[in-house]
Amino acid sequence: MNKEIGINQLKRRDFLRAGLVFGAGASGLAAGYAAVPDAFARAVYAAKREGVANDNILVMIQLAGGNDGLRTLVPIADPALHDLRPRLAGPMVSQALPLNAQYGLNHNLSGVKSLWDKGKVAIVQGVGYPNPTFSHFESIRIWETGDPTRRQVDGWLGRTLATSYDSNGHPLTGCACGATDAPGALRDLQATLTVIQDQKKFGFTGGSEVEAAVGALYKGTPGIYGALFDTAIATATETMATLRTSASSYQPMADYSDKVKLVYSSKNQLAAALQLAAELIVTGTGVKLLHVTLGGFDTHYTELNRHDDLMGYLDSAVSAFYQDLAAHNMAGKVLIATWSEFGRRPKENASGGTDHGAAAPLLLIGDPVQGGLYGEEPSLTGLDGTGNLKYSVDFRSVYQEILAGHLGADSAHILGASFDRVSFLKAPVAV
Amino acid sequence: MGSNELVSLAPIDESPSVSTATAARPRGITRRQALAAAVATGVGVGVVRLLGGSMQQISSTSRAASSTDWISPLNSVSARVMHLLRRTTMGYTAQQLETALSDGYDKTVDRLIETTPAEPPAFAAASTPGGRFAITDLQQWWIAHMLTTPTPFAERMTIFWHGHFTSDYRKTANDTFMYWQNLTWRRMAMTDLRSMLMKVTNDPAMLRYLDLATSTGQSPNENYSREVMELFTMGAGNYTEDDVREGAKALAGWTLPPPDATGTVGGRSLPVYTSQKTGVFNPRRAYRGSVTYLGKTGSLDTQGVVDRILAQHATAPFIANKVAQHFVTARPSTAYVTRLGDTFRRSNYDMKTLMHAVFTSPEFTGQSYRALVKSPVEFMVHASRTLGLTSPGKLVAAAGSGMGQSLFDPPDVNGWPNNESWISSNTVVERVNFVTAALAQAKGTLPSPTDAVHKQLDGVLSTQTSNLFNQAAEDRARWFIVLASPEFQLK
Repeated sequence: MNKEIGINQLKRRDFLRAGLVFGAGASGLAAGYAAVPDAFARAVYAAKREGVANDNILVMIQLAGGNDGLRTLVPIADPALHDLRPRLAGPMVSQALPLNAQYGLNHNLSGVKSLWDKGKVAIVQGVGYPNPTFSHFESIRIWETGDPTRRQVDGWLGRTLATSYDSNGHPLTGCACGATDAPGALRDLQATLTVIQDQKKFGFTGGSEVEAAVGALYKGTPGIYGALFDTAIATATETMATLRTSASSYQPMADYSDKVKLVYSSKNQLAAALQLAAELIVTGTGVKLLHVTLGGFDTHYTELNRHDDLMGYLDSAVSAFYQDLAAHNMAGKVLIATWSEFGRRPKENASGGTDHGAAAPLLLIGDPVQGGLYGEEPSLTGLDGTGNLKYSVDFRSVYQEILAGHLGADSAHILGASFDRVSFLKAPVAV
Repeated sequence: MGSNELVSLAPIDESPSVSTATAARPRGITRRQALAAAVATGVGVGVVRLLGGSMQQISSTSRAASSTDWISPLNSVSARVMHLLRRTTMGYTAQQLETALSDGYDKTVDRLIETTPAEPPAFAAASTPGGRFAITDLQQWWIAHMLTTPTPFAERMTIFWHGHFTSDYRKTANDTFMYWQNLTWRRMAMTDLRSMLMKVTNDPAMLRYLDLATSTGQSPNENYSREVMELFTMGAGNYTEDDVREGAKALAGWTLPPPDATGTVGGRSLPVYTSQKTGVFNPRRAYRGSVTYLGKTGSLDTQGVVDRILAQHATAPFIANKVAQHFVTARPSTAYVTRLGDTFRRSNYDMKTLMHAVFTSPEFTGQSYRALVKSPVEFMVHASRTLGLTSPGKLVAAAGSGMGQSLFDPPDVNGWPNNESWISSNTVVERVNFVTAALAQAKGTLPSPTDAVHKQLDGVLSTQTSNLFNQAAEDRARWFIVLASPEFQLK
């Protein structure tokens, strides 16, 4: 005898939560991730939302794997660095691009350095959270949800979408560019967002007829995945319509290239993803929150070349992106921010690499930024009990400044608390 | 919903009848108007016949279906057998289904679990210097084996372990090592966790991927030590950072196997391997001294590390949970995981015992109908096999990336996510596009799509799918609807 699950559409959200989100198994493996949001929203939430007062845009760049902060912002004058990293320190110090007497940027961040010289780069040092975990996946979830206690399941940007924007009917308000599945930061069962891996391939082979067939096929689909499927198709279809317009009116004004030298090849096409982000921004699609990823930062091994190459890749893609936005007169609206689940161990290992660490600097780039260094300089001699850098700025302070200061969103509501200010914005709107 | 009587596997009308209300519609699925009409039309008597007259309550309007679950047919033996085959094979032919139905459920479970995995044919380019052949060649080699193997369950388990004991070809930087790992994972797939963990630890691709090959007792690399506990056996929260550090010392000493020869490519001298090898332990690189690991102090070698891990209570339920998520339900209950974990541990971590317990559990046989989303590779291989494609390897290898799954290239050390993570605006479009491409490869007369509805989808269709299927004017359109349907994405 089969029991039908007699729930109406609004209750399905609760059902999904109960069945898919909170009912995790004994080990806690992957527990706590919300279902892909792209799913749900349109089927479930018809309510209009208000909350954000401006049309500013945020682009988060995830440096996945744990970016080495000490090779990104190099403490060039600190002799302790050479004790900790006898093999790695020499070249990174001698080649660094000095910002002041104490710090220099990785030598491959020359484009970022020229933006720094124009006052468009803020670097927040020593960003982390209490009692850091050294697990990639636990720490990624903490950064994605904005919750070190690991109770929150929705992503901080997903919650922002859900509470502060009307994404219903506007699936491009939030977009993961260059990905196949939604990053945890953007996930929220109440938010709609689009995932586009490669714009050139984003369309139905067979065109509008197939699109219509699939649209008819994916309506009212039963089962726990039904709304996920239906919304994914509806979102894709709406986005395709938008992209048909935007693609024809967008002309890139910078040289984006993913042909870069790397020790081993990258899974992500960062430049193409940022070019798609630029297209969505400059053609007025209404996109507000974008997320792109560059992987490969888990440099346990031969870090010297690998990390330098990744810095170069990041630099060229971000430089092209900024240049393109500026040429389209959109740079004033767009804040670019990097994040990574942790930094790396100050002491190098036997493999010419570094193991998982804790606090690290974040880069904030763009016209909205008040250039300079923020946060306390982390001490290389006062490491914590695990041999890692102590944090001085809670990562949620950075989120708060982005949410309230840049997007004009209700940060305390989204993050569940208020945090110390870190004032890296030129003209914060609502902190 | 009374008699959820089974799917009839008897031959049925090859050309499904259609509702008279839309008799004048244009051909195929290629007209927007036809689709609009199909959606607007109620279910005709033809659909009921198509569905064997008893499967899905489809008398309601299409909207009503959105708030319901699938009507499970699992109280019928034949539906249970098909449910089992969808979750344990690479798709099945009519003949294989007949065999399984005549054997019955329990015997089919035994056959799946007990049959020794068929070895794939040797990969021709394996001794390329430096393992520098195109990874797509290796992907296609594996896909070809998935499509033709007489022991498809071995391939399901090999993919499972590939996503669990993860390595990727990029960092491994020698595709020959990835080939060997695939052979090893297949051979060990249904053995016991103790011997598996030794094979995983000294697997050359793994030695590269998680850096154990460069770790020394004097300056240990923590990468493998951490992941062997966090992702492979115990889960985060069940060990300390000290255990990670001490484990790294105990595990240090493994190196890559020496090559059989060297070959020169583009002026560079590269290693050549002519036969499969494992890592080599070099005592001079090992840690000399005592370590305190998972609660005990003393000198410890790799086998000792494995045995300490197997002595932890977290290990059996961790593996059981992963298996349950992959084969049974997205969020297995704690009680279920505990039960499976107890069985697994009592059997000395025997995989055959665990999988037998899974496939004979009421959670599997009765409560999990369409509770899982097919992975991209499963979806594509199932579709290819159902359609009878002869050489879809290139298409399948290439199309996986847009759906989020490229073989030998998992997204990170945690392997592939599953179920709801397979569904996004990008992946659903790519799945549909695969169906279009696969149908373009299917030449000549197609197999009966009506048969596929019964034998692949148990005749359980949503109102939308049955409407569209029933209204389609020709078999290609019907096949498109079957393979692109949400029903076919599920297992």
